[in-house]
Amino acid sequence: MSHFDEMTGLLYLEGQIDADRAREVSAHLASCGSCRELLRVLEKEGVWLREALTAEDEPIPARVIATPKRGSAHWGWITVFGLGMAGAYTLWTGVVEPWLAQAAQGGFTQGSVLTMIFFTGAFWKGWDAMRSLMEFSAVATLAAVAIWLLRKQWQRFTTIAFVMGVMICALALPPTATAAETKRGDPSYTLPAGQEVKNDLIVWAVRTRIDGDVDGDLIVWSDRVIVNGHVKGDIISFANELRVNGTVDGNVRCFAESVTLSGSVGRNVTAWTGELDLEQGAKIGGSLTLGATEAELSGSVGGDLLGLARTLEINGSLGRDATIRAQRLKIGSTAQIQGRTKYTGWHQPEIMSGAKMGPIDVAIKGPGPNYASARYYWHQTLAWGASFLFGLVLLLIAPGFFFDAAQACKRVGPALGFGALFLFATPIAAIVACATIVGLGVGISVILLYVIAVYSTQVFVGSWIGDKLLGAGAGIGLAVGRLALGLAILRVLRMIPYAGPLVGLIMVIWGMGALVQAIHKRMRPQLAPAAV
Amino acid sequence: MSEAELAQLLAKVRAGDSDAWGELYRQYAAAIFRFCRRVLPAREDAEDATTEIFMKVRQKLGTYDSSRPFTAWLYKVASNHCWDTLRRRRIRQDLETGDVEALPLEHPDPSQIERLQAEHTGKEVRTGLAKLPDRARMALVLRYYADMSYDEIADTLGVRRAFVGVLLLRARHQLRDALSGGGAAGRATAGGKS
Repeated sequence: MSHFDEMTGLLYLEGQIDADRAREVSAHLASCGSCRELLRVLEKEGVWLREALTAEDEPIPARVIATPKRGSAHWGWITVFGLGMAGAYTLWTGVVEPWLAQAAQGGFTQGSVLTMIFFTGAFWKGWDAMRSLMEFSAVATLAAVAIWLLRKQWQRFTTIAFVMGVMICALALPPTATAAETKRGDPSYTLPAGQEVKNDLIVWAVRTRIDGDVDGDLIVWSDRVIVNGHVKGDIISFANELRVNGTVDGNVRCFAESVTLSGSVGRNVTAWTGELDLEQGAKIGGSLTLGATEAELSGSVGGDLLGLARTLEINGSLGRDATIRAQRLKIGSTAQIQGRTKYTGWHQPEIMSGAKMGPIDVAIKGPGPNYASARYYWHQTLAWGASFLFGLVLLLIAPGFFFDAAQACKRVGPALGFGALFLFATPIAAIVACATIVGLGVGISVILLYVIAVYSTQVFVGSWIGDKLLGAGAGIGLAVGRLALGLAILRVLRMIPYAGPLVGLIMVIWGMGALVQAIHKRMRPQLAPAAV
Repeated sequence: MSEAELAQLLAKVRAGDSDAWGELYRQYAAAIFRFCRRVLPAREDAEDATTEIFMKVRQKLGTYDSSRPFTAWLYKVASNHCWDTLRRRRIRQDLETGDVEALPLEHPDPSQIERLQAEHTGKEVRTGLAKLPDRARMALVLRYYADMSYDEIADTLGVRRAFVGVLLLRARHQLRDALSGGGAAGRATAGGKS
């Protein structure tokens, strides 16, 4: 036979040709030096490849060496986990649920967040329902799982663009928004008296004046908003100054520097503001929930009052209970409070003679934590349990990411630099995004993720501290131990008077930087295979 | 570890003994990690894949036929996982079916191949391997790292058994090409005498 080709040579070497053909090749090899040489080199190449591929050229990462010990949790960790769960449960029943009950009385009656997001799509209208810590956690967990599932796909920019595009579309096209009428001020917007918008009305303007009627919700971004007309739905307002002189059948939810209510609100009012003035004659049918520097309530509130303020003065009437946290509380002689008043503050409340009110519970508590109180330490333990539980979930859902973030803490300089940048830049970017209708959903999503990120910083820094103290031994058990110890140390450091908040700030900046670096590492394009 | 010891260990793992599972993992994790490292683009991918492969192993251990070598089954699970990973990412650049015609039928120059072997270290070979199209790289790793048979390679890569030899030879050509600085690793074959 003539010389055989390379393919035949390889198949012969690897025993992949039939017996007859093999005999032919063997016979030819006996007489052909050239083919023997080829076969020798091909065989040598096979050995060469095998040696190159099986070489133990790099150390095996610690987390690969670590045995995944599923179902063999040490009793110590079972105890710690149990404590964490008990902490979360106690936190829920002891702290969150009473506040939820208050919030429900304050008119936050929208249903499940998940139902809202997936079925009604009214994401931006229902953010107040984010009150539920458990629902919030469910969404966060869902997001974490989605990120985990998509993390490898995110190495490709097109996928990121697609996912972001879908998110933007999903968030920007809620059914409630499709029916809304949108107005952009030039630079101001006025709905004249006698005119009616038979829809939701969304307004961006320097000044907004509503003298006419809105047969739906009014959503407004403005420096100054004055509502003299009739809004049949809710008002959601982001403004420097909001004044409601007219009638609102629904709720008023606002973020503003100053809020003045002199008209009537059929349902509830939620106000985060510098100054709140409920003028005499003004009427709120439901409850009032406020966070304000100064608040003066001279009008009437039909439901409960849930107030957080520096100074709160009540001269009007409250139909039900009042729960107040303030530095100072003043109850004027014209005040009428039908229900029970629960006040926690720095100073004794000033109650004028003539004020008509039910029983009042007063707890005087100065600024800062009460180190003498066992309750304070119990709360700190619960907070530790909750953070540990969060870290544990993160560790189990995305161990790779968890280790990356904890490792990124080692590079202190870049971590602090990136951390400071993202800690301050992210909320600004999110707020800017909120100024556009398309960006609103994205902005709110970013803020939610930002809150989760800020909370998670303690987990990464804690894990790094634990690593320093217990060593970088491999194994999930040790990782959990490092996490528990690190979080406990952080918690203790943050309890130190005066220095504690500073420790907290450094922790957040540092952890945020580590988180950003870990995300960057995961999202970096890796299309070209890496050399080994 | 002897066959009897391994069989005993596997029986314990199947019975839910977590210490035995830990022992099994310790025995094979490094090898599987290196396998993944040769096949997947990045170290992080290999770390994740190793964990995921062992999770699958634990789930599927009931389907393992103890009359076959355990390592062969283990590498089968690993290679399926890695191949799926690469396929999902859609960064495979080579064609689904190869053209036998593109392979040179004449003898290559043995001295050139031998010189290539002498001039390049194992590290350079691995670097060259990383530049190969996914399927070529996968074929070489399955054959020369995992010691898979042609049948198993065909099954993993979803090609006809008769095509495996072509795939391997072409991969060798591409590797030679990459090492000799041809920069044509992505080409179907290094034409002419290599």
